This record gives sequence, C-alpha cells and structure tokens, in this order.
Amino acid sequence: MVAQKITIEPVTRIEGHAKITIHTKENGLVDHAYLHVNEFRGFEKFCEGRMVFEMPLITPRICGICPVSHHLAAAKAGDAVLGAPPPRPASLLRELMHMGQIIQSHGMHFFELAGPDLLLGFDADPEIRNVVGLVQAAPEIALKAVALRKYGQEIIRLLGGRRIHPIFAVPGGVNKVLTITERDEILAGLDETIATTQLGIQIIRDWAEKNMEDVQKFAVFPTGYLGLITPENGLELYDGKIRLVDQTGVQLERFDGSDYLDNISEHVENWSYLKFPYYKKMGWPAGVYRVGPLGRLNIADKIDTPLAQEEFVHYRKINDGRPIENTLYYHYARLIETLFAAERVQVLLDDEDILSNDILNTQHNFQGVGVGVIEAPRGTLIHHYQANANGQLEKVNLIVSTGHNNYAMSKAVDMVAKTYITGPNVSEGILNRIEAAVRAHDPCLSCSTHAVGQMPIMIDIVNPEGKTIQTLRRD
Amino acid sequence: MCAERKDSASRLSLTAADWQNLPRTLIVGYGNPDREDDGVAWHVLQTIAQKFGVPISDDTDVGIFPEGNQLDFWFNLQLMPEMAPDMVAYERICFIDAHTGAIPDKIRIEHIQSKFQNSPLTHHLTPETIVSILEHLYQHTPEALLVSIRGYQFRFEHALSVETYRLSQKAADRVLSWILTGQIEE
Repeated sequence: MVAQKITIEPVTRIEGHAKITIHTKENGLVDHAYLHVNEFRGFEKFCEGRMVFEMPLITPRICGICPVSHHLAAAKAGDAVLGAPPPRPASLLRELMHMGQIIQSHGMHFFELAGPDLLLGFDADPEIRNVVGLVQAAPEIALKAVALRKYGQEIIRLLGGRRIHPIFAVPGGVNKVLTITERDEILAGLDETIATTQLGIQIIRDWAEKNMEDVQKFAVFPTGYLGLITPENGLELYDGKIRLVDQTGVQLERFDGSDYLDNISEHVENWSYLKFPYYKKMGWPAGVYRVGPLGRLNIADKIDTPLAQEEFVHYRKINDGRPIENTLYYHYARLIETLFAAERVQVLLDDEDILSNDILNTQHNFQGVGVGVIEAPRGTLIHHYQANANGQLEKVNLIVSTGHNNYAMSKAVDMVAKTYITGPNVSEGILNRIEAAVRAHDPCLSCSTHAVGQMPIMIDIVNPEGKTIQTLRRD
Repeated sequence: MCAERKDSASRLSLTAADWQNLPRTLIVGYGNPDREDDGVAWHVLQTIAQKFGVPISDDTDVGIFPEGNQLDFWFNLQLMPEMAPDMVAYERICFIDAHTGAIPDKIRIEHIQSKFQNSPLTHHLTPETIVSILEHLYQHTPEALLVSIRGYQFRFEHALSVETYRLSQKAADRVLSWILTGQIEE
C-alpha cells in the first residue's frame, strides 16, 4: 500500500469553486484532508466608484441565495457612512424582512438539503436519499417544507415590493411602509410556520437521539464562537454588538461592528484562496472561531421569545451549559433560530410602530466611513465602505459569512475523513459524511452565476506517482 | 465586445383557435442577468415573448413571472423548490440556462427526467430536481425540456457577448418551434 491522494470535486458553475482533497498514508489512513476554495473576490473591486446609496441595490446581486442579507448589511453600512441612523419603524421593518430571509433560508437548508441525509441515513442509496425518499418516508413533511420556505419569501416580497432585488432598505431607513393588509397577510401564515418549524425540531431531536454515535464522533472540536448579541446576551440576528467567546463560553470581546479590524485578522494558507479569519489577540490558529447557528447559540445566554427559549434551554443542556462543539448540532441550532425568527415576526408585527410612516431619516451627518453588520443565515456578514465627500466609494471590504467558517469547514472535513476512512476503499457512505461536514455549515460559495451543469461529486484516489487508482463518481 | 438585443423580431400571428390548441406551456429562464452570458435565458425569453406578442417585463429588477396564460414566462436568479406548486398548471415546461462548455453542443435541447440532485457546496437546484419535486410532491409529470446555451463571458455586464447573443437567437427559434409543433428541431 502506498500513500495516496483523494479528491472530491464538484464539477459545477464557472470556477468549480471548491474541492476536497484527502491525502492518505501508506497504511490507508488519512494523513490530512483539505477544503480548497477558489473564492470570488471581484465584486469588491466592482463596487469601487459606485455611490454609497446604490450599494443596497448592487450587493444583493452577489448572490441569489441570501440577497436580503447583503441588501440590509449594505443599507446599515450606508447609514453609518451618511450618518443617518434609521427611525425605529424602519429598523423594525428591516428586521422583519430579515426574519423572512432566515425562515426561508434555514427552512430550505434543513428540509431540502440536509434533511434527506439525516432522515434517510448517510448510508442510504443515493437514489432515495433525496426529496423522493423524503416524500416516501414522510410526505406531509415535504409539502410543509415547501410552504415554510414560501412563507419567508412572501415576507420579503411584501416588503421589497417585488420578488427579486428588493428596493426596500436605503441608507437612513426604508422606502416603503407596511400596510395593515400586508401585516395581516403575514400574520395569517405564522401559526403554520411555527408548527412546521417545531416539527423540524422534533425530527432533529429524534434523529440525534437515534444517531448519537455519529453526533459524538462527527467533527467535534473546540473553537471560539462569534456573532451579534443583544445587550443582555440574548440571541440577535439583526443588530447589536459582536460578542466573541472562547471554547469554554467565557467572553473574550464585546465590540462594535465598526471595530472589527481591531479584533479580527485573516490567515492565509497556500492551499485555499479563501482566507481564514481569527481573533487577533489570540493569534492563529488559537484564535479561530465559528459563526452561524452553532456559533450564535454558543455566544447567547438566552433567547427572548418563549418557544425558542424553551427549546434553547433543552439544547444547552446537551453539554451542561458549555458551548456545543458537535458539527451536526448546527442543524438543531438552525431550527431553533428559525423558531426564534418566526416568533420575532409576531413580536415585530405586534409593535404599533411597524405601521408607522416615519421610515426614513433624511438628515445626514456625513461620516465617510461605515460598517454594516448583520447575521446572515450562515453567519456574520460585514460590509465596510469608505467614501469620498461626494458619497462615491473608494474602498469596499466584505467579509462574508462563509469566510468566517473557513477553518471550521476545513477542520470538519479533516476530522470526518480521519474518523471514517479506515482503508483504501472509500464508500458512498463515507463520501456522504464528508459532504455533510461541509453542508452542516450551509456554505455559500460564488453563487452569483448559475450556468447549467450536472453536479457530480468525484473522488480520485491518486498514488504518489500521480496515477489514479480508484475513482468514485456520483452524478 | 457586447451585443444588445434587437427589437426587430417579427411577430407571429396566432388565431384564437391556435392559442386554444396550444398545450399550457411555461418557459422558465434562470441565471444572473448581471453576469453577462449567465443571463442568456433572460434574452431568450424576451425574444420568444416578443414573437408571440406576449407582454413581459424587460426590467431585470422587476423580473418575469407567470400570469396564468396559455403560454407563460418565468425568470429567476435560480430555481427554487417553491416554484413547483405554481408549475403544476402546465403541461409543458421548458427550462433555459447557460452552460460553460461542459457539454459539447453550443445549444443543447433535450428532454429531462425526474432526478434529484444537490451539492454540499451550493444551493443551486437543477431542473431535473424541480421535475422530481413536481412528480413526487405534486404528482405532476409535465413534458420537460432543458435548453442549454453556451456562455463565453461572465463579467458584470447586462449585455451578452456577441457569440452568445447569436446563439440566443438560434435557441429562441428552436424553442419557438417546439412551442408550436411539440417537435425539437435539430
């Protein structure tokens, strides 16, 4: 037996934007596994020279998956650049749109992308380990899942005034009020949304109980955790300070988003184009942290809505109140957040300011520099703009959610490969687990183009002489 | 070098009976019109709709959505599962997208079957997956086509490259023929 290299590469999109290589030792065990990302960075350069007020319209075009996150982060950065904090009703409306985004994105991830793996098993035949199998196993769930996602999209549509590229948030506020009819339309679908989310939570809890061996050995590792937080350390998705805790849950930092450069630095590896953010004061790699649902629930002491709080209490008991390190619990955390988002919709719609006409601050106190931070579904999203006196952008820096989790995804892939590959023959089930290590983080890579293509996953096992000795392919 | 869409396409004259005999058909384009050739489907939809005299938006920010017509058009940045319930009303669905050279034909038109596909690295749903959702969730099996058109440039531009623009016109003609005859011309 000789040392070999295994490559998992999705042949899709324009750049073929990520792949996994697994280097094995002569005894067939894994030496190291890497997640390589060919990051798309052209967008920041493209934004230079544009007017700051254009950014909420331009940046959603980065991605068709979470355009609302970019839309709102851009508006928040614009608020800061222009020195125009939005009136309270505008902030409520922006948050409402954001909750729609959280519901649709998290809902799709659990039920349509990750759910089949979990519900049908990593080792299930790929022909049934998909929505088809899910329908056969639980037809009512699949239909509810479609409705859940649609509900979130409808919130976005009602507020955005149109179904793509919302023109809603602008620096200083928003440009559309919410009507009573629209409010009632959103309220009408809320009970079903909460019920479907609770069903998902029951599914993941049952699944975790039955698959505890996988949960406990599937990419469990310590890191710090980072995300927005309320003043009382409650879960926050729209606005707040950034809290960073260490692997034991002790707070390391609490800082304003505008101070991110004082706290976050980026490490470079020669095998990936995507940089690895870390906590500056601890250095690399001690300062690595995770974002997204797992990270956010690990930095929070509570959730300020009753149903989500009840579930959060149960969730935090998993590790006796300490941060939860299990990658597969990203799914559980994601559903708790979905429940929180649905409950926040109720809270926001019950607020009398939500119907106010006071939605735009036209008084500017130009600052020239601004940072907008929001918790996108997959993690903390930072927009940082520097403008000249005319409001024209001279410098743009975007730290996207997936970037923060670069270390975590790479580490998870490495750990899962080392745990499950015990010899030269890599089975379908092992490939699924390696995919699942990435999928748990719900990454979003270079999604601004959609050129058609199959999405096969290939594993090439290559010996040190460069000869392919085994290929696994799934179309 | 870029090419703008011409507005000189000749319009078909369909009688009321022609429209009535037309199976309910949905033309679904997807891609990113802000990324040059990735948005080729947008341009194909414009050409076909113009020839049929069906009014659709020409503003990419407004988008194109089905209106309950015998021949409908829908454009999205990506395919999404919640599109499926609204597709149940159609006997025929034609998906149109760009390709980047992974397949040898500059224009490929093929029937597609139900097949669920996904990837851990992207949220992109394939048309086969949508057909699978239609079949298994809504017990609906439309005739489904996928039209793949070669894209060459993917910069931040609205207009197509010259070569892809030419292909878009040819593809529009072939889709138009399929709409009218049900046959795929080679």
